[in-house]
Amino acid sequence: MSQRGIASRLRWSIGLLAVAVLIPMGWFAARRTLADVDALCDARLAQAALGMDAMIAQTGLAHIEVAHDSQSLPDVPVTGHLGETPTHEVEVGYQVLGADGRVLLVTENMRALGAPPEGDGAFGDVHIDRRHWRLYTHRDSARGITVTAGERYDSRRDVLRALWIEHALPLLLGIPLLAVAVRWSVRRALRPLDTLTSLLTIRTAWSRDTLLLAGAPEEIRPIVESLNTQFRRIGHALERERRFSADVAHELRTPLASTMINLDSAIAEKRGMRAAASLPDAYASLQSLARRTDQLLLLARLDDADDMPRGRVDLCAAARAVVDELRATARVDARHLDVSVPTLPVWLVAHGPALDALMRNLVENALRHAPAGGHVCLTVKQDAKATVIEVRDDGPGIPPERREAVFERFHREAASLGDGFGLGLSIVQRAARLHGASVDLLDPPDGPGLLVRVGLPH
Amino acid sequence: MNIIVVEDDARLGAAIKRALEHLAYTVTWLRTGAEGLEALRSQSVDLVLLDLGLPEKDGIEVITEARRLKVKTPILVMTARDSVESRVRGLDAGADDYMTKPFHLDELAARIRSLARRAQGLADNQLDAGALSLNLSTLEVTYQERRVELTRREFALLRILMERHGKIVRRESIESSVYGMESDVSPNALEVLVHSLRRKLSPEAIQTVRGFGYMVPRDLT
Repeated sequence: MSQRGIASRLRWSIGLLAVAVLIPMGWFAARRTLADVDALCDARLAQAALGMDAMIAQTGLAHIEVAHDSQSLPDVPVTGHLGETPTHEVEVGYQVLGADGRVLLVTENMRALGAPPEGDGAFGDVHIDRRHWRLYTHRDSARGITVTAGERYDSRRDVLRALWIEHALPLLLGIPLLAVAVRWSVRRALRPLDTLTSLLTIRTAWSRDTLLLAGAPEEIRPIVESLNTQFRRIGHALERERRFSADVAHELRTPLASTMINLDSAIAEKRGMRAAASLPDAYASLQSLARRTDQLLLLARLDDADDMPRGRVDLCAAARAVVDELRATARVDARHLDVSVPTLPVWLVAHGPALDALMRNLVENALRHAPAGGHVCLTVKQDAKATVIEVRDDGPGIPPERREAVFERFHREAASLGDGFGLGLSIVQRAARLHGASVDLLDPPDGPGLLVRVGLPH
Repeated sequence: MNIIVVEDDARLGAAIKRALEHLAYTVTWLRTGAEGLEALRSQSVDLVLLDLGLPEKDGIEVITEARRLKVKTPILVMTARDSVESRVRGLDAGADDYMTKPFHLDELAARIRSLARRAQGLADNQLDAGALSLNLSTLEVTYQERRVELTRREFALLRILMERHGKIVRRESIESSVYGMESDVSPNALEVLVHSLRRKLSPEAIQTVRGFGYMVPRDLT
């Protein structure tokens, strides 16, 4: 049942409802009409008897009695057929009885009637010559006569049958017509749904066009709108993925290119000394390639790290480990790297590798931007609301209007001409978001540079 | 030949500059699109190697703007974007050739030679002026059937003169081709260079046209 289509469900329910309503209505209407016809016929019968009586009163009873004795009862002919058309006249008749019970007048078809029904103004049903008759008896006590008018039920039944047919026939013809009409209008009403289906069918995979359904009815419009919203969202996601993979390609191919050029130069150069000069650069390019690969992998991992296990992490120990790891690099580049953490451990329930990556990337960024001989400091502290990680450098800083943009993946500040990969801050932001932490780029309270503050809420 | 390399990656830029200088090209390495465009507009540049993913001004913008300013210098795009659409976009914007990173030095050099040949209307890499011949691909110079060893600068000087042999080459063109955007070039550096080249070839191989420049005669013996 649930799998049946809307169209067939609508057709069936409208059809059944129509039949369920129309048939009883027709039946009741027919019943009322028949009852009315019955009453009308009875009234006419009574009227006929009364009219007969009035006519006898006019002509005088003696006249009838004088003219005939009981033995030679006048025959009242029954009007026969008029041409081909059958009439109902054979089916009506009357009988007039005298005070002594003598038959004064009778129609042929009612000769066989014996005594009329008892009482005055009474209706009765009798069988005459195996026919079923409806009788009305009027007793005129002033003249002592009894007038009985009769009508064969056949005639009444004919009328009733005709009436039944008149009522039932339109209904019987109407129901199939109604079914066709319902079918047509249901199909017409559902046509926008068909259009939508065919639009969706001919849509090419990954198409980002909006669906245009002109004159969509209000029931379909929300579907089309939410489909379009979904298409737009998927389109944006696809576009982001496409840009990301293009950027990944760029990030990896550039160090690969410089590795190749350096190695080509080394190979082309016949003299050992000059060949050797290209090798450190080739090696450095490979290192940079390796580091970018690591960063991309880390970023990809952080992208779906929401359900990675968390553990208890001592932020102070983690900060010291990061600084120890990077101190050698800092020394080579003639930067001073300091760490300032509370003496007691700061325990957090956190994602350890993500926090390490966050601090490492912030410190690496700071080291890149600090001038030769400059200072970089990693600080961990706690205040009322949050555990705060701060990394500060004394480099050129980032103007406030560009601080938003540096979080974009692969963004490179024009001034950062070294290994500014544009991935570092994305990693920081992703790792921070994993912990519900905020990342703010601020001006240091004293002197030039940049202060990055990550606030991990308690 | 004065080549500008616009590449924001420090290692790749340095590697290309060193490798091309080794092939006797004069190389200026710039790191942003804006600087690249400025150099294209203001100086005589023979060829541009342009990265597309540049900070501030994208490579495509540089090409479009340069072509809008009617700069005809050949532009060789080198990029990590390898999709057909981005190639088409780059070439349609006005680039002359397109190389996808990573690439080999040999291929880069061959494409540079090809663009240079096309720009100068040459059929092959062999330049001949009578008894003097220079091969742009092997960098070999022969004179009167003997190999001549030249320094990078001497080769660069001889190349520009040979490319237009039989015609006077203006002093300014020679200077921009040999020294590029170097600022600390002494006023008589070119005379010194011409002198040493004459010593290795012959005094009549390079003729001085006073007040204009120099030329290699068409039928040198």
